Amino acid sequence: MTKKQLSDLVVKYLFQIAASMTVLIVALIFLFLFKESIPFVRDLGLGALFDVRWEPVSYVKERFGIYPLFLGSLSVTFLATIIAIPFGVIGAVYISEIATPLEREIFKPFVELLAGIPSVVLGFFGMVVLAPIVKAVFHLSSGLNALTGALLLALMAIPTIISISEDALKSVPMSYKQASLALGANKLETIWRVTVPAALSGIIAAIMLGMGRVIGETMTVLMVTGNAPIPTLNPFESVRTMTATIAAEMGEVAFGSVHYSSLFWVGIILLIATFILNMIAQRVLKNYKRRPHG
Amino acid sequence: MVTSSLQSRPAKVKKRMAQDRQPEEPPKTVVKDGKMENEIIQVKHLNFYYGPSQALFDVSMSIPEKRVTALIGPSGCGKSTFIRVLNRMNDIIDNTRVEGKIIINGKDIYQPGTDVVTLRKNVGMVFQKSNPFPKSVYDNVAYGPRLHGLKDRRKLDEVVHRSLERSALWSEVKDRLSDSAMDLSGGQQQRLCVARALAVNPNILLMDEPASALDPRSTTKIEDLIGELRAEYTIVIVTHNMQQAARVSDYTGFFYEGRLIEFNETRKIFTNPDHKQTEDYITGRFG
Amino acid sequence: MKKSLITIVGAACLTAVMGLSPVFAGDTLQVKGSDTLVHLSSSWAEKFMEKKPASEVAITGGGSGTGISALLNGTADLANASRKMKDLEKDKIKSQGFEPVEFIVAKDGIGVIVHPSNPINQLNMNQIKQIFTGQVNNWKKYGGPKAKILLYTRDSSSGTFAFFQKRVLKEKDYSVRARRLASNSAIVESVSKDVNAIGYVGLGYVAEAGDRVKALKVREGDGPAVSPTQETVKNDTYPISRGLQVYSKGQPKGLAKEFVDYMLSAEGQQIVNDRGFVAVQ
Repeated sequence: MTKKQLSDLVVKYLFQIAASMTVLIVALIFLFLFKESIPFVRDLGLGALFDVRWEPVSYVKERFGIYPLFLGSLSVTFLATIIAIPFGVIGAVYISEIATPLEREIFKPFVELLAGIPSVVLGFFGMVVLAPIVKAVFHLSSGLNALTGALLLALMAIPTIISISEDALKSVPMSYKQASLALGANKLETIWRVTVPAALSGIIAAIMLGMGRVIGETMTVLMVTGNAPIPTLNPFESVRTMTATIAAEMGEVAFGSVHYSSLFWVGIILLIATFILNMIAQRVLKNYKRRPHG
Repeated sequence: MVTSSLQSRPAKVKKRMAQDRQPEEPPKTVVKDGKMENEIIQVKHLNFYYGPSQALFDVSMSIPEKRVTALIGPSGCGKSTFIRVLNRMNDIIDNTRVEGKIIINGKDIYQPGTDVVTLRKNVGMVFQKSNPFPKSVYDNVAYGPRLHGLKDRRKLDEVVHRSLERSALWSEVKDRLSDSAMDLSGGQQQRLCVARALAVNPNILLMDEPASALDPRSTTKIEDLIGELRAEYTIVIVTHNMQQAARVSDYTGFFYEGRLIEFNETRKIFTNPDHKQTEDYITGRFG
Repeated sequence: MKKSLITIVGAACLTAVMGLSPVFAGDTLQVKGSDTLVHLSSSWAEKFMEKKPASEVAITGGGSGTGISALLNGTADLANASRKMKDLEKDKIKSQGFEPVEFIVAKDGIGVIVHPSNPINQLNMNQIKQIFTGQVNNWKKYGGPKAKILLYTRDSSSGTFAFFQKRVLKEKDYSVRARRLASNSAIVESVSKDVNAIGYVGLGYVAEAGDRVKALKVREGDGPAVSPTQETVKNDTYPISRGLQVYSKGQPKGLAKEFVDYMLSAEGQQIVNDRGFVAVQ
């Protein structure tokens, strides 16, 4: 074997090891989650997870129903996405297609700044400023509810949606826009009939990534959703999300207890939920690419 | 200064035109076989600027109706800029400026208040690189009519059918109307772009090197198509392929360094040009 | 950028090594656990190290459970806990061949707070229980305005949550509608904003909140209504009070013993009072 062949081989293995690391780490995380979650199944059985109440600290009966937590995550994520989509997509269209270079220079740093605000700070803002506003506007007894959480999470998702959608819109070839203009379309018609549809796969990916950020976000929801594990989809009720549950309870729980183990089940469900979300996203993208849209 | 806005008209142009009312020298009239042609486009003393640099210098010409006019010349001579002035496509580029008059169907298209939408409906364009939308074949052709308010499905079907027939594509795509236009071959895509332009019923069709990116067989098809369309449409085609100009056009204009050097019947240009520069270019001495 | 990354990674490695390696344990005392105790512990450690410059005491929060599990697997020498050690945890320590040793280092009272505009000034233990379990959900029942009661509790992870549940709720479950907040400050913040709210926080926070909230007087049965103050907690007349404890695995030795002794010394107990808790001696 020549020296060159040898170095090629070494480099190849190095790359292979680097690439395998991610696979290995994901596998290890799964393994770890399942290992830690086993005591729960052994002591209470899997059925206990399907209880309708989450009451892990109780002298009456400890209950570990993930259902209210799942609904909490679901409603907050869904609401936040619904709120973030129009702002994100319209913002991206504005920045990439309509704004003058000067306006773009002004807007973009703000979008980046919004993306960079630590979630604790946002949560603090939500608790002190936003929650009282939500309370006053909707005449509620308390502003700590799913809607306030969703509004804050939308703030976190919007920069993601804007910057990725903007990239997608920018990569739409100039020739499409020219063709549309040459047929007598004005700027707005060109944007909605050609540019946005052509960038749709990128925009959908942006929204999915935004959702990914929202579903995994912990600190903000912990601070503003009130964290009462009520099984509800009502946006004005307090909800407790899966992430907030893990974050809030892991610190004080007795190591190795059933409660400890149940938190790993919450983690597993969260992982499966994001996994399914990703699969749906991939499917949507694939379908979109195969089928022409108009 | 010309802004990128489509509707606004450069203020400077107005000023400039007001100042320099040059003596109305009649544009060269075109006479073919001793017969006066009907002049659909009249260009008078056209100057065009990209920012500080001037791209067209005092171009005047009259383009006859329902004829094929070819514009030739070496790269960068201004021929592409020139046809983009005719449907105001240059409006979308920042910092451009137009001076002079362009009269199409009796109207100065750079007059304030000109409806660019109507202008572009009337003056269709096919680009150098085929650029179908990433939509179905049907939706590509129906794009223009829908834009201008046609919603009735039956009428749309009819327009799509007619446009695809006229662009000699119908027989090839009639079973693939809902397929993505991106799946067509390069030559088919370019004919689809012709169909898309025809669907809004223009009088004039501008073609900017429509065959330069195509293989010889597809090129032949495009040239045949031009031959068929000449009866109904005024066609202005930019090409750097002199054989193509000779094959398809009735009139030819030769541009060099932003000036229209010579404009005449194609036969005359290719056999007995008036200018030495034209002769040099045609005989391949430069360009 | 790159340099700072290296520093961070380096620091992380060092921390990991220090945490795992027994070599360092001799010089450094690791104290981990309850967030309620973290500030108090830090004050102790600060003064302690002034007196004994060669030693190092590292205080970390993370929660009572975290502290106890750190004690179990040897990454901490002492565990702070705002709740009593559970039997399960005691058994684990015993299975390692050690006796869990408990020191009550301070006392804390839990004040029940409402909005300053609330006309109610006192409640008995049973009324508080009925409010927090959700059996009573309108202020009218106790002579207040006709308005729904808005419940705030600490999160179930908190030692305070468990203590309140045991002491006041008599081991009943909290109402499912109770909003659960992550910190004492969050409860003060929310109660000060909602006229119909009720919540509970540690004594130190009651004092700190001042006029923004009103701490109710609490009656045990037919006894007198008592305000939560350092005095009433110390003499055990205020009914909702608890010990804060430090645990060690077996009798503490060396630096750990010195630190525990310091906490319980007169000087250490003065710090307890200064930080808004209540001295045990």
